[in-house]
Amino acid sequence: MITAALVLQAVAAVGFGYRLVAGPSLTDRMVGLDGMLVVGVSALALQAMATGEGAFLPVAVVATLVGFVGTAVVARFIEGTGG
Amino acid sequence: MGPALALVGSVLTVLAALGVVRFPDVLARMHALTKASTVGLVLVLVGGAITLDHPNDVTSLLLAGALQVLTLPVAATLMARATYRAEGIRHEVDTVDELAEREGRAGGTGEGRGGGT
Repeated sequence: MITAALVLQAVAAVGFGYRLVAGPSLTDRMVGLDGMLVVGVSALALQAMATGEGAFLPVAVVATLVGFVGTAVVARFIEGTGG
Repeated sequence: MGPALALVGSVLTVLAALGVVRFPDVLARMHALTKASTVGLVLVLVGGAITLDHPNDVTSLLLAGALQVLTLPVAATLMARATYRAEGIRHEVDTVDELAEREGRAGGTGEGRGGGT
């Protein structure tokens, strides 16, 4: 069941990656990047569930915080440059 | 119980990715990502917290979930407002524009800083 969840996360990563590469505006690319970050944090949790080893789980907390700060900074950038 | 929750969360993440790929508008794509993907990630993290039993792992997972719930809507609101001010939005679907009225009252100029529509 965890393997099926990891496969679904990989499919979602392909979709977000398509939007990251092909998105017409900078906001589209940021949406794709946020989705990739969500997939990454989910993959960390799923890997910890599969192996029973939680050594990488603090990385999920840090990735969440860094992702929020990055999104906020890009939002300020978009607002300043006009697209 | 835990792996089932993780599977449901992964299905929701796939649905969010489908919306991000297929929806025609920037704000619609952001809507799909923010709603579905927040719930999906929290379900995966709660499933992990149920499955693992060491307290360090459980607190890390629950802290990551709580931070995601707190910060992802705020980040999406920042991005949506920046997009609105920089590029403007299409008014074909959403005819009510409360932000323009509010900014017209508050800012005085009525136009965003980017000079969009």
